[in-house]
Amino acid sequence: MDWLEQELKSALARKEPPPEFAEGVAKALDGVLPDAASGPRRNLVAWPSRTARRWLAAAAAILLMVGGGAGYRWHQGVEAKRQVMLAFHIAGGRLNHLRTHLKEVSQ
Amino acid sequence: MTATVLEPSAQAALDFAGLMKQHQAMVFSVAYHYLHDREVAREVAQEVFLGLHRNLAAIQSPAHAGFWLRKVAVQRSIDEGRRRLRRPQVPLEDVAEPAVEAAPGDPLLGETLRKLIATLAEAPRMVMILRYQEDLDPMEISEVLEIPLATVKSHLQRSLALLREKLARRGLGER
Repeated sequence: MDWLEQELKSALARKEPPPEFAEGVAKALDGVLPDAASGPRRNLVAWPSRTARRWLAAAAAILLMVGGGAGYRWHQGVEAKRQVMLAFHIAGGRLNHLRTHLKEVSQ
Repeated sequence: MTATVLEPSAQAALDFAGLMKQHQAMVFSVAYHYLHDREVAREVAQEVFLGLHRNLAAIQSPAHAGFWLRKVAVQRSIDEGRRRLRRPQVPLEDVAEPAVEAAPGDPLLGETLRKLIATLAEAPRMVMILRYQEDLDPMEISEVLEIPLATVKSHLQRSLALLREKLARRGLGER
């Protein structure tokens, strides 16, 4: 190795990064890197896995469909009942009118 | 007596901290000598270690980690150099002429050499850094850079000849 190569080794010797380098990496990891005393951070409520989330979404969709169907049928029943009651009311009015008319004729 | 058993994530984190302490000078220096910018080198080195943290599960041994870090540091530095189009960061003509003859190990000569290396094209520049910073032999350099061995040797010879010529022109030739 000649003088130039010696100088190159000296010029390109490894250099330490700035003192705050490790701290910067830890900050960038946003707390993923735990310190030995505190232990790793954990979420209080575990987030469901991807498969579980898919099942939950499917179950929610089925519930929505079943619930929607039941609600629609209940609404149809209420409407039918209202129409029957209206028909009874009209028929009752006409019967009263007819009875009054018959009474007048018989007198 | 109870033994403290670390969870896998905690163990990995401790290993990561150890790996970072062991290799941070290597990673930072590859980026710094290549990019010739301390702040950019710090950012690149930080990205390299974030990448290591993401890939920690795939790292099989400390030696593997060292190889992985060197290779990624080289690639990220080259990418950053291309992105910033900083080559040559300091035109060769602007490299300061020393007022007095430099002695061996002289910081002035060292800085001149670093600036001259910064003006080399990307492949020979990285070859020189891996050869003289990391003390890798040409075969190892060809593996890291994934280029033929003959190309590595050619880059080394040409770069050394070029540096000798530039230094001689500045009165810093062979003593």
